[in-house]
Amino acid sequence: MSLAADRWPAYAEREAAVRKPAGGTLVVWRVELMKLAGKILVRGMTVLAVIGPFMVVEFLNLQSATPGDTPFGQWVHTSGFAIPMTILGFGAQWILPAITAVVAGDIYSADDHFGTWKTILTRSRSRGELFAGKFLAAVTFAVFMLLLLTVTDLIAGLLPGREPVVGLGGQLVPAGHATWLVLASYLSDLPPLLGFTALAVLLSVASRNSVVGIGGTVAIAVLFQIVTLANMPEWGQQALLSTPFMAWHGFWTAPAFYGPFLWGLVTCGAWFAVCGLAAWLVFRRRTIGAAS
Amino acid sequence: MPLLRFVVVTGLTSAVEVRGITKWFGETTALDAVDLTVGPGEVHGLLGPNGAGKTTLLSAMFGLVLPDEGTLRLFGRSRAEAGAAWLDGVAGFVETPRFYPYLNGRRNLAVLAGLDGEDAASLIDDALERVGLAGPAARRKVRGYSLGMRQRLGLAAAMLRRPRLLILDEPANGMDPVGIRDLRAALRRAARDGVTVILSSHDMAQIEEICDSATILSAGRVVAAGRLDALRAAAPDPVWRMRTSDDTKALAIAAPLDTVKAASHDGGGMVVHAAQDEMDGYVLSLAAAGIAVRGLELDRTPLEALFFQLTAAQTAKAAKLPEPGAPAEVTP
Repeated sequence: MSLAADRWPAYAEREAAVRKPAGGTLVVWRVELMKLAGKILVRGMTVLAVIGPFMVVEFLNLQSATPGDTPFGQWVHTSGFAIPMTILGFGAQWILPAITAVVAGDIYSADDHFGTWKTILTRSRSRGELFAGKFLAAVTFAVFMLLLLTVTDLIAGLLPGREPVVGLGGQLVPAGHATWLVLASYLSDLPPLLGFTALAVLLSVASRNSVVGIGGTVAIAVLFQIVTLANMPEWGQQALLSTPFMAWHGFWTAPAFYGPFLWGLVTCGAWFAVCGLAAWLVFRRRTIGAAS
Repeated sequence: MPLLRFVVVTGLTSAVEVRGITKWFGETTALDAVDLTVGPGEVHGLLGPNGAGKTTLLSAMFGLVLPDEGTLRLFGRSRAEAGAAWLDGVAGFVETPRFYPYLNGRRNLAVLAGLDGEDAASLIDDALERVGLAGPAARRKVRGYSLGMRQRLGLAAAMLRRPRLLILDEPANGMDPVGIRDLRAALRRAARDGVTVILSSHDMAQIEEICDSATILSAGRVVAAGRLDALRAAAPDPVWRMRTSDDTKALAIAAPLDTVKAASHDGGGMVVHAAQDEMDGYVLSLAAAGIAVRGLELDRTPLEALFFQLTAAQTAKAAKLPEPGAPAEVTP
């Protein structure tokens, strides 16, 4: 290998005026998505999100018993709509936080781990643009995975059949309405998912450690789930970030009620704002380098 | 002349202007009221022992380290005034260039070009070729790169930005002799074309060969700064290694001379402290006395002598007083 020294000047000759950064946050967002696409774990999770629901359906078909302790579990052999709702009821409180934590809990601390902050912070992008672009990428991944799971869970569930399903109020929900309710139920988990995304970002930024960013988020999600089982006052339950994951229960009763969902929006918004702001304040004045 | 054109276009008298920068890491003073001025198109060397503050100063120029006191201007603008555009036209790296190990070399440059925007991506192939990383090397994951290859990739990443200010921290680390030779030539060429270069190095010969001026840091303070010829003029006498046909007699001839200090060397031969002219006279006097000079080489250049003289206190302190609990490397 040889450094072609005599060919450097071409760059200097072309340097004339100060270049202006274009669309800072979106530029960083695009770059972060490019990096995510190169990660084996992210690719693996995407593949798993596509084939996983079909594996669950196969597994349920092999079982004579039904997961009766989960909402809709007892109807998995009679209605395809029960399958995505069973998956959502069983795993939302910890699977969704874990999915978003894999990216959000790592997207900042990975640069600490690899020592690449000093590489990307020397490219005419402000800390604010880098922070916002990475945050947006983490949110994008969370939204993408939720939408992907929504579609694949629904398709996997409906392949066996589109029979009406029994709602949580005991009423029979026709197929057309059930489709919308499944979609609405999955999308109602978006606010708490984004709340956990912001929490994972905060842990990632503050700890500079991906194990803490990812593992800490999952641990907090499990802790919230355990605390939910305790006899807490109602305001305490409503303040937990995991409670809004169950807000969709109200969609499936007759008549439907939306209070928990609306209250969940407030709770998740508060978690999202506080964690996001705290992460930015920590990130803003951090010293980059070995002595930090 | 590219340099002249640059000066006319910008109308600037300094590319980098540092005034009174101070930075503390806990109780450790990494930089202590540092002043530094580097003119456009100048190649400036930054010298100092480990922990002197070189990397902290370079990090501050990139905005990686926020000074506690003082001001820093690049091309006449402070960071507060210029915002994110402060680093436009500025490229380089501090410490070893770091990249994403799970991406290959080309992909890493694509990531950085994405951040740079505009047509930086179109320069990737060219930059890889220029640093000798084109072909299979560019398709290898960076986790498999040697230190020298990462340095080359760091230079390629700098090229994508078409710098007018190049800041390099020990760029020759891990490079083979051919790479070092080419790097020196590349920096000289860049400087001829108006690129301002700030170069931190432990390699005194590299600094003497390619720099116009230098700053010597010790324990976070500037202990000497100026053009190299001025620094040489202020330096102590150079140090020579000498072997003669009769060292004992040669030492005796040097003894009464005020301007030549000679002593035996543990490894054989003699060590002589003398300015060039005085050394010439001494060698002639040895010849007149029938003593043959069998070997004569410059052991320590004037700049090296100055460096060791000015940084001896910090070096001795570091050797005697390791600070428990302090960062392993004071400068980030």
